[in-house]
Formats: sequence, structure tokens, C-alpha cells
Amino acid sequence: MKKIVQTDEPLAKDQVIRLLLTLQEDAVSAINESSDTPDILKLTWLGKNSEFLKLASSMRTAKPDDKQQIGAVLNGVKIAIENALATKQQSTYTAKNEEWFDTTIPGERPPTGHTHIVTQAIEEITSIFNRLGFTRVRHPEVDWDWYAFTSLNMPESHPARDEWETFFIDSIGKNEKSKKVVLIPHTSNGQVREMEKGNLPIRMINIAKCYRRQIDVSHTPMFHQFEGLYIDKNVSIAHLKGVLDYFAKHFFGADRTTRIRPFHFQFTEPSFEIDISCGICHGKGCKLCKEGWLELGGAGMVHPNVLTSGNIDTTVYNGFAFGWGVERAYMMKANTNIDDIRLLYSNDVRFLTQF
Amino acid sequence: MNILVPDKWLRRYLKTDATPKQLKEYLSLCGPSIERINTVNGETVYDIEVTGNRPDAMSVIGIAREASVILPRFGIDAELIDDPYKMKPLLRQGFAGQAKKELPLHVTTDTKLNPRWMTVVFDHVAIQPSPTWLTEALELSGVRSINNVIDITNYVMHAYGQPAHVFDYNKINGSVMKLRASKKGEQVTTLDGKTHTLRDNDVVMEDGDGNLIDLCGIMGGKNSSVSDTTKRVVLFLQTYNASNVRKTSMHLAHRTEASSLFEKNLDTELVTPVFALSIKLMEELTGGVVASAVTDISASPWSAPVVTVKRKKVDTYIGSHLSDKEIKQILTALGGKVTVTDEQITFTPPSYRRDITIDVDIIEELARIYGYHTIQGKLPETETPATVYEDPILSMEQLIKTKLSDWGYTETYTYSMISDELMDHCAIPKDLTYKITNPLSSDWVYMRPTLIPSMLLTIKQNIPYEQDLKLFELSMTYAFKKNDLPDEQSTLIVAVSGARYAKIKGIAEQLFSLFGIAFPTTTDPANDYYEQSRSLQLGVFGQMGEISTQLLQRFGIGKPVTVLELSIKNLMKHRKTQKQYTAIPKNPASFEDFAFVVPNNTHVGPMLKTMELIDPMIKEVSLFDSFKNIRTFHITYQSDSKNLTKEDTMRVREKIIRHMRTTYHATIKN
Repeated sequence: MKKIVQTDEPLAKDQVIRLLLTLQEDAVSAINESSDTPDILKLTWLGKNSEFLKLASSMRTAKPDDKQQIGAVLNGVKIAIENALATKQQSTYTAKNEEWFDTTIPGERPPTGHTHIVTQAIEEITSIFNRLGFTRVRHPEVDWDWYAFTSLNMPESHPARDEWETFFIDSIGKNEKSKKVVLIPHTSNGQVREMEKGNLPIRMINIAKCYRRQIDVSHTPMFHQFEGLYIDKNVSIAHLKGVLDYFAKHFFGADRTTRIRPFHFQFTEPSFEIDISCGICHGKGCKLCKEGWLELGGAGMVHPNVLTSGNIDTTVYNGFAFGWGVERAYMMKANTNIDDIRLLYSNDVRFLTQF
Repeated sequence: MNILVPDKWLRRYLKTDATPKQLKEYLSLCGPSIERINTVNGETVYDIEVTGNRPDAMSVIGIAREASVILPRFGIDAELIDDPYKMKPLLRQGFAGQAKKELPLHVTTDTKLNPRWMTVVFDHVAIQPSPTWLTEALELSGVRSINNVIDITNYVMHAYGQPAHVFDYNKINGSVMKLRASKKGEQVTTLDGKTHTLRDNDVVMEDGDGNLIDLCGIMGGKNSSVSDTTKRVVLFLQTYNASNVRKTSMHLAHRTEASSLFEKNLDTELVTPVFALSIKLMEELTGGVVASAVTDISASPWSAPVVTVKRKKVDTYIGSHLSDKEIKQILTALGGKVTVTDEQITFTPPSYRRDITIDVDIIEELARIYGYHTIQGKLPETETPATVYEDPILSMEQLIKTKLSDWGYTETYTYSMISDELMDHCAIPKDLTYKITNPLSSDWVYMRPTLIPSMLLTIKQNIPYEQDLKLFELSMTYAFKKNDLPDEQSTLIVAVSGARYAKIKGIAEQLFSLFGIAFPTTTDPANDYYEQSRSLQLGVFGQMGEISTQLLQRFGIGKPVTVLELSIKNLMKHRKTQKQYTAIPKNPASFEDFAFVVPNNTHVGPMLKTMELIDPMIKEVSLFDSFKNIRTFHITYQSDSKNLTKEDTMRVREKIIRHMRTTYHATIKN
């Protein structure tokens, strides 16, 4: 590499240009032949102490007329050197790519944790109903028996109260409507609580923990229930059917349908039981479902007495409500193989980490 | 309530060609649900669920009646025959003349407790086994055959839904039957040999000697029961005040088929025809002869309510218009009278449909017979309400769960109720905890005010299966409020096996930043569930640290456990949701590492905090390494306004060294 002789005199334009062009030649061939890395080469030829920068600084003392020409040459030289460096970079990569590399090494997995099945089911159910304009809310698990029963057209000592095998809480005083406190056996306590908020129309889903004095292969004393409430003007059974079918198709599969049959709840009239078509035989009947249909939950048109409990004018508004168990619905999804609900509350990591 | 109805018996009242399969399918779509078809000894038996509001359907005739209305809707002819309500009145005054000797019966009753009473006495009764048709009908229905007299009572109850009872006339002292409310402490021994101690207002029957001979509505008394040697029988059909019978049945925990009927609103008008049919059966099967006048006592006669519903409302509910003709057809077939105008329907229900009282009751009858399966589903057409917003805590909880799962933690759902033992392990004051009055098991009694006991139990349970446990749960804790419902607080607990303070603190810091809340800087220890020297109170937001060895011992856990508890409720209250943009510095940063020798037992947290404040040029300070007494800090220098020179960084460097020496007696390591 030729070194420039240091002088104190400013260099003439032609001299500068000649030196620049020579530099370009030297730099490009040096870069191509060198075994240094592109980073080091860049530092050498374009860095702080490089010849290029020294020549570039001569621009400062050049005559104004010469500046343009020198500038153009400078630019050209810079580009040429940079191109040479880029080519060098490329060939370095190519060299790297030709080395042997084991592509079958195990990946570095990010940490794997698990949300509980019930959380996953709740999320899925909520998002399906969000699309229909139903907002998720949450109401108390420990409630006055007025909300859990009386407001729902079940006065004290009504036989219908027996159907839920309710847990009672030791007396803690009373409020103006109730004497007793219960662990809610169903999420329907949320119906009048929601109505009391005073906002109409209502499209809500309430998902909460429920409690019943029962334990066996399909019951646990604590479980989750999911309840929808729709109050508006001129609500029809047809609307209820439409909503149920929408849910079934999105949660269980596009090939599934629902049907409703007569039933009785004190807080709805008419009342229904909801069935869903079997995923295996689609309603024809098979070993798994026996009749082609599986029971999903209950529903009905809200009873006028319930609307009245919630201070809603029954001559203007009506509505429907529906509800079922979250665990049960999840277990009914095809292929989960969970045959005992108690597994979900066993808190055994060997179970939890499977989902 | 489930009833068994043999197909043969059903067709005594239902004339139809429908197959059992058709009966099952169509009835279930429009009426009582036929859950199963059983075959018993070659005979078809239906297992039917009848809802509590339909006592009229809890019998063979009731099912036959429903079928006669429903089957024609599917194009199958069906006719109800031998309807007891269509029987010509049989009773005359002159029954008493048939026997050689009249047997008196002195009856007193209370029509408030007993709205309908009918009795008659038979003489020359021969107790014998029942004929085959009767024993077969009963046994297919799940009822054991006993003898002709008892079987008749069970037969009519099952056929018509009207319970019947028989007494041995000779065992009734003084031939006196007095029905009244019980007094607290009285006792009665029922047919099954059980002795019951009564409260006030149970319904009982007393004879002339003051003996209680019947626990009315539930079960007859042993002392007045019919046996093999009985010759004279009192036949007794009645209805009771439903709520009295129900309360008695509940507090004595004694439930019979009869009581489950009596505790519903039974039709007083059904008693007469069934009474007449029962007399016929007694005469035919036992050789008994009527030997007394019929005693017939009732409260005021039943008068049908008039129920109306607007046509418009019917059409709205069903989603299509029902013609006058169709409405009349359906409601008439169900019994009762109907008139129809363009505006409304007026319906007078029959005496056996006491469940029909308001407009929507009529709609239910119309809609179910019309067929729910006929109604076309559609999505609601109105606009989504804009005023209902989802509570932000719900999506935050979901976010936290997702993050923890992504960070390698596994979610548990433990029961909200804990045992006495767990309460004691954690020294939780029981008088400030909500307690279940009627627990199912001793494991689930108290509503937990903290998630610690459940989590420790879960850790213990899983230690044999997994060395490296990383668990979390987000559930309610139930905080005590005097004379009120609990304050249900959304709470998070995170637990790892092992002494991993830094790991848990990392999770805590990350979660705080999710909420935009600065991590607390105080060094107060947590409560005594935790090792005092290895724990932190996190202000109102929670606490964290290693669990105390004492508590671990009580749970039988042999390795350390590190836990974080956070109140999501409180974090939400102080949450800062909106992130703000600060301009990206134009000038480059430079970096330096310092190693300091610090005195024993010096907290590093405050050092990090104060170092950052020494000079505005210090952008960030982090702990790079920690070994024995040496702490290495990584400092980032950056200025918003200019490019930093060597002199600038030198100046700040000196400041740092001076600060560490004077405030912490820390010297720079060479």
C-alpha cells in the first residue's frame, strides 16, 4: 500500500483526484485478497485513520470551484470500496454455509406451562358469545337466598328448592330480603342482580363457581356453571333456538345441532331441556349416545315473576335464559376421553400437564 | 320424579297403533320425557320423567292423556278411554243398606289441612293374594305385591295419581277418626316399624283412645294397619295441604310415593271418581261388602280460574301465527274450555291442571304441543347494547393466566372450602370465617380466606410425581364482613418447590409491570406463614417468600416451598393502563461495569435505586453479578442533549464511587 507523503501544503485538485483513484484500485484488490474479516477491512479502509478519510478531509481546504468535482470522485471511490466489502461479506457467508451443520439438534423450547381445562373452556365459551354481543360478567358465589331462590319464583319451602342439594352458610345476620345465605347451586342468582343494574336490553353471560352436595363420577361439590340472559322487547323462542344452535356449532362443531324439549323450572315459562346431536352418529343413535342426542343443559323464557323481582316491566320486556355446566360441556367435546369429572379437581400434575 | 308405566297398562287407557318407539320419541318432544324403554319378562315398560309441576301426569292415565293429545300432531290416531273425569257419578246415598249390619265411623277433620276426605267401611273382607293381572301390573311398575287390599290402594295410586289408604276397622278404638295438626313431641310408629317424633303442624289422625293411627300424607300407622286376619276395612281417599306434608316429609326425612304426590297440588275433584273405582275393586277382589255411609267432607268446591293471553304475545313467543282453529284444538284436547278472539285467548283450565294460572302458562301449552321442533331458530335482530362494558378484571385475569402458563407454570383449581384441620394448621380464626352448615364432607367446611393451605396441600400431593413443581391458582378468597356477605377477592397464588426466592421475585416483578405499578421498595417481612428473613410484604398488593419450616412441617412437606400471593383486586385498583411514549435518545449510550466490595448484610435493592439517582446521565443500573461480598453493576450512560465525552463519564464515575463509599461503605474492587 502506497503511503501518501505528508505535506503541509494543500493538494491541488488533480493531485487529490489522482490519489483517490489510486486508493480505490489498491483498496479493492486488497479487500478481495485479504483473509481479514469484513469488519476489520472496513475499519482499515473507511475507518477513522484510513487514507480515504484523510483525503476526504482535504475537501475542507479545496477551492470552492473544485469541491464539486472532488466530491463526485470521493463518492465514487466510497461506493467502490463498499461494494468490494459487500462482496467480501457474501463470500464469507457462503464459506460458512458450506460447513456441515446438524439440523436435527433438539430445539431450545420456551417454557411450557398449562392453564386448566376449565380456564380454556371458559375462554372459548366467552369468545363465542362475545360475537353475539353477550358481555361476560361475574356475580357472587356466596349469596342471599333471596337472589338464589326467592327472586327466581321459588318462595321459602317451595319443593323446587330441593332439586339443588344446596349448601347453607351459618347465619351471619340478614338483609331486608333474606334470612339465609347459600353457596350458589346455580348461576341464576345473577339474573335479578343483573336486572337491578337497570340497563336494558340485557345480553350477559355469567360464569362462576357453583356448589352442590353431590359427588360421583359426573358430579363434584364445586363446579362451574355458565348462564346466559337475554332481555329485550319481543323476544321469541326462535331467538333462543338460534343462539343455542350458534353456540353448539362453534363449540362442538359445524355438523352439530341442538333441540329443545319440554321441561320445568320455576324461573322460566316455558322451560326447556337442551339436547345436542351426538358427534359420532349425528342423531341416528349409536353405542355412545344411545338415542342420537346428549343432554346439554336447561333453558327457558324468563318467568314474569323473575322480571318483576328485577323491576322490569313485563308488558314491555321479556327474554330467555340458558345455562349448563362448563366441565360437562368440555367433556362432551369429541375425543377428550375424560370419563370422570373428579379428575378435573384432583389437582394431580400428571393430569393437569396433559392439557 | 320418575315413574314406570307398563305398555300394556297404558293401552288400557290409550287406544292407538303407535309403537313404543314412536310413543317415546313423540312424547319426549312435546311432553313428559320417556327416558328409557325397558323390557321386563318380555313386557315393555316405559321409564318416564315427569316434572314437579305436573302431578296430573304422574300416573298411567296422566301419560295416556298426554299421549292422546300429542300423537295426533304426528299423524297417529290416539284416543283416551275410561277417563275418570268422564265417569257418570256412581255414588248414591244408599250404600249403607247393603251390609247386614251398619258399621259406624265418627269422623272429624280440619279442611285447611285436609281439603278433601272420603271414607267408607267394608265388612266380610277376605285377605288374599291378588289376581295375576294385578300383581303383574304392579311389579312391572316397580311395586311389590302384598295382598289384595293393599294392592288395590297401590293400583289406584299408580293408575290415577290419587293415593289411597286402608285401615283395619277393628283396630280403630271407638271407631273414631280425628284428623288434626300434631303437637310437638307426639310420637307415631308407622307401618315400617319406625317411630317418629313430631313437631307442631305435622298432620296426624287420632282414634277414640287418643292413639295416633296415621302419619297423614306420609305413611299409615302400624297399630291400625291391615293384616292377614283383617275382616273389616276402612277405605280412605283424600288430599292434603301440600306444604304441611312437604315440611313433615323433610324434617322426618321420610319420603314415600304417596307423600311425593301429596306434597304437590293434587286435584280434589279426582278423589270422587277414584273412590268409586276403588269400591268396585274392593267388592270384586276381596268379597268385601259396603257396610257404612260414605263420608265425604270437603272445603269449598273448586272453581276454575279464568286465564287470558294476548294473541300477539303468543305469536311473539312462538315466532309464527297460530290460527284460531289450531289454538282451540290444542287447548280443548288438553281439557278445559277456550274462547278465541283476534285480540286474546280465554282459557278455563280443567281441575287437574292447577299449574295453569297466568298467560305464559297457556303459551307453554300451545308451544309444546305445536312443537318446539317446528320453531325455526334465528339470531336476535336488535342492536347490541352499547352501555354494557366487560369488567376489565376479567380480561386481566385471563392475561395473567396465559402469561404464567407461557412462563412455565401449571394452573390448579382447588376447592373453595377447606377442612377444620387446614384451618388449624394455618391458625385461621374460625369466628371470622364463613362456615358451611351442612357440609358434604369434613374436607370441605370453611370458605377459605387465603389460598395458602390449599396450595400447600396440592404441593404435598404432587411431590412424589414431580421434582420441579411450578404451580399457580387464581381464585376467590372470602374476606369476612360482619353481618354481610363476604368480600369475594380475586387472588393469585404462585408456588414453586425449592428455595427459589429470586425466581418468585422475578415473577412478582413481571406481574407488577403488567399492571404498570412500581414494585414496592420496603423490606418489611411477610406474615408468619413465611420465613421472616426470606420474605417480603408487598404493600397492599400481597406478599412473597419462602414458607416457614414450621408451617411446612405441619403439612408434612419435607422440602422448601417458595410462594407469591397477590391481590388481583388491589392491583386492579392501582393499575396504570396507558403507556406513554418518551422520545428515543438521539445520542449513543456508553457502558461501564463496576465491581464493589460491600459490607456484610447490605441490601442491594436500595443501592440500585439510589445509584440511578446520582446523576441524570445515568440511564440504567443493573446487577450484573453477585458473588460473596462483591457486587458488579452494569451502568448505562446516556444524555438526551449531547454526545458524551470521556470527561463526562469520568465525572459521573467519580460520583458513583464517592456515593458508594460514603453511603454504603462499599469500596471499588481492583
